[in-house]
Amino acid sequence: MSSDQDHLKETDTEKRFEFKKEESAAVTSDKGLTEEVVRMISDDKDEPEWMLERRLRALKQYQQMPMPTDWPGQPDLSELDVEEIVPYIRPDVDKREGADSWDDLPEDIQDTFEKLGIPEAERKALSGVGAQYESEVVYQNMQEQWEEKGVVFCNMDEAVQEHEELVKEHFMTKCVPPSDNKFAALHGAVWSGGSFVYVPEGVTVEMPVQAYFRMNSEGMGQFEHTLIIAEEGSEVHYIEGCSAPKYGTHNLHAGGVEVFVGEDAHVQYSTVQNWSKNTFNLNTKRAIAEKGGTMEWVSGSMGSKATMLYPSTILKGRGATDNHITIAFAGEGQDIDTGAKVYHNAPNTKSTIESKSIAKDGGRTNYRGLVQIADGAEGSSTAVECDALMFDNESTSDTMPYMEIQESKVDVAHEATVGKIGDEDVFYLQSRGLDDDDAKQMIVSGFIEPITEELPIEYAVELNRLIELEMEGSLG
Amino acid sequence: MSTQVHATIDEGTVRELSDSLDEPEWLLETRLSALEALDGLDMPSVIRTPGREWTNLHDLDFEGFVDPLNAAEDKDQVGPDEVEVLPFAEAVDEHEDLVREQFGSVVDPEEDYLTALSTALFSTGTVVYVPEGVDAEDVTVRTEMNSQSLFNYTLVVTEESSSVTILERQSTGDDVSGERYYSGIVEVAAAENSHVQYGSLQNLSEETYNYTLKRGHADTYATINWIEGNIGSRLTKSSVETYLQGDSSESQIVGAFFGHEDQHFDVNARVWHEAEHTTADLVTRGVLDDEARSVYEGVQDVGSGAWDTNSYQRENTLMLSDESEADASPKLIINNHDTEASHSATVGQVDEEDLFYMETRGTDPQTAENMLVEGFFVPVLEEVAVDELRDDLQELVAARLRE
Repeated sequence: MSSDQDHLKETDTEKRFEFKKEESAAVTSDKGLTEEVVRMISDDKDEPEWMLERRLRALKQYQQMPMPTDWPGQPDLSELDVEEIVPYIRPDVDKREGADSWDDLPEDIQDTFEKLGIPEAERKALSGVGAQYESEVVYQNMQEQWEEKGVVFCNMDEAVQEHEELVKEHFMTKCVPPSDNKFAALHGAVWSGGSFVYVPEGVTVEMPVQAYFRMNSEGMGQFEHTLIIAEEGSEVHYIEGCSAPKYGTHNLHAGGVEVFVGEDAHVQYSTVQNWSKNTFNLNTKRAIAEKGGTMEWVSGSMGSKATMLYPSTILKGRGATDNHITIAFAGEGQDIDTGAKVYHNAPNTKSTIESKSIAKDGGRTNYRGLVQIADGAEGSSTAVECDALMFDNESTSDTMPYMEIQESKVDVAHEATVGKIGDEDVFYLQSRGLDDDDAKQMIVSGFIEPITEELPIEYAVELNRLIELEMEGSLG
Repeated sequence: MSTQVHATIDEGTVRELSDSLDEPEWLLETRLSALEALDGLDMPSVIRTPGREWTNLHDLDFEGFVDPLNAAEDKDQVGPDEVEVLPFAEAVDEHEDLVREQFGSVVDPEEDYLTALSTALFSTGTVVYVPEGVDAEDVTVRTEMNSQSLFNYTLVVTEESSSVTILERQSTGDDVSGERYYSGIVEVAAAENSHVQYGSLQNLSEETYNYTLKRGHADTYATINWIEGNIGSRLTKSSVETYLQGDSSESQIVGAFFGHEDQHFDVNARVWHEAEHTTADLVTRGVLDDEARSVYEGVQDVGSGAWDTNSYQRENTLMLSDESEADASPKLIINNHDTEASHSATVGQVDEEDLFYMETRGTDPQTAENMLVEGFFVPVLEEVAVDELRDDLQELVAARLRE
């Protein structure tokens, strides 16, 4: 463990985000978004007719829908020019052959992971890595025991071919329809890559399933789709990590995540996002939880120029549970607008939302959340807690929760606090020999601990390291 | 903007109104300007969440109930000798400069559709003027609406180091058939080190639509405390707001509502911290029975110059019936890190254990529930510093309890 930390310490992190690879793409679609582009993507992937139809329908919806502009205090999206974003790039790896071990990957892709600072030792320990490099998952490794149990973890494109019925039933139908919002519609039209996870009834996947994403083409968008189906009584923890080098043009990330939590199943979805500071991160993530199912969202939003992300859960079955843990860190020029949505549509459903945010150097964080308890969802309870830390007077920290309660037999509580780092706390730590920066660092680490303790060690280390980087030298 | 007030209201209406009140030219101009602005103005902002507007003001039949030329009311406006408590028209005669200077200084007469409508059409009101150093209690304004509609305007001006306590009550008198409309705009300009307590108790008939906007500007060391009680009306859209403009100014907004049948209360408490060392405390409690619905928005806005801010907000709703709905959105907007701010909101029903305990002590279930409802309002009532208002509110709450 300590050697891993050393490894991270030694990694020149600034470099980690500044380097970029020579682009080598096999297929590049035209700029802009037309029916031709969508047909080309579908054609190149050799998709069945129904998928093409869904893409084209989503494209129509996208063209008809207005940009979201009238949300109170929303991030400014005026600099986002979707027409300028190349929706699809396939890396020059013949993935139809597939790389079945790490060493078979092209060196420069391995190198990308190296630079991301994912330690070799950890990599080995991972039970399966799906790495998205330029819109395609090019590396998959599954432990045999999973396959024996019938667990499927593959890339989304493959799933369309290999697990057609499952995908056809679940893909952007009940969970995130393209009509949900403009960027979900865009996603539905040009999605590419992503992960498909299927866990059969009663199976517990002990190791977290992981996928790393990376953007590495100037002006390129990422529209990966994640579909997780956890059958009755199964259990799985999916982890997604993102990080992108910096570029001059505006990047768009409009991913889609759909999670189906079966009866008494348990799904945790964790992500630490660190897009470069010119990326618009406009994701749609949603889960549907059946009777007795549990959904847990753990998300850290670190990077991007602007983020609008509200992972939501529909508690559809009696006694279903949802837990959200989110952290947002906004530095200079960043507007991180994130939160959670929970719909209590059945009796005895429970939800908790724990949100932490840190605003610094003129950054803005906003918690925007919705809890709805439908008429008839008696015995439901929800507790929302938002805490915000502010470092300086240029920064902004907002909290905008919405509660719609149509049922009387409920227990609803929301609380939020905003404050600065306590001078007394800093003083106490300084009296114990820490300098000012280290003291603040420690306080911040403590502040976000509820998040980090939910993450596997390498993510927790990375998250702490990222926050360290964000704070380095600019404190005091 | 889907409203067609214009079908019944035009420039002639406004001129006739202004003439009958014998108003100076500047006031007529203000009214006409507001009338003209109507076309381009939106309704007061209401909360929207995906797929729904929490209060729909567009669907109100303004044409049906706006009848400004036939306004009738029964009004008491009294206060101690050392303060001026004048009917609006009289105040314009006697203190024209003061009224002209202050009118619209706190509330923009054209800030939204309903405010502009009120500006163009108000026919009655009160001006309370408290000279420097004067401490006044017991200013009472009682308005009984006896017509289809009534547009009311209240201006409170307190000079340096003065203080005043004002109690306002609205009710409806004579039966008028059909829907009715009450609109009240209140401006409070609190000068340095002055102290204003403004209590309001609204008990209009349940055919009456009620729009009210109360806003105060607090200068250095000034305090503006609001008490906002809503019991009556078919639908209420009420906003109570304070701008803390001077260093060390303070504001408290205490709200209470009790809705039943199909009443709809859209209550808003908002405070803007614009200066240093300011403090705000927002406390609202409401009970809902039958199909009543409440919508609450509380906003604590801390500006970038507002160093050393303290800002607190609490909102609790008690639901007595399964058909009721409680929507809430407490918001924090913080642009200065030297802030201690928090808000909380809860929704729930009467505590089963409390009920059980009281029943084991021989109280019948309905009496026990009623006692708990009355107890629920206690934390709010304790914040009400005006005995008379507290007693009135308690009485109205008691009257609304189930037999």
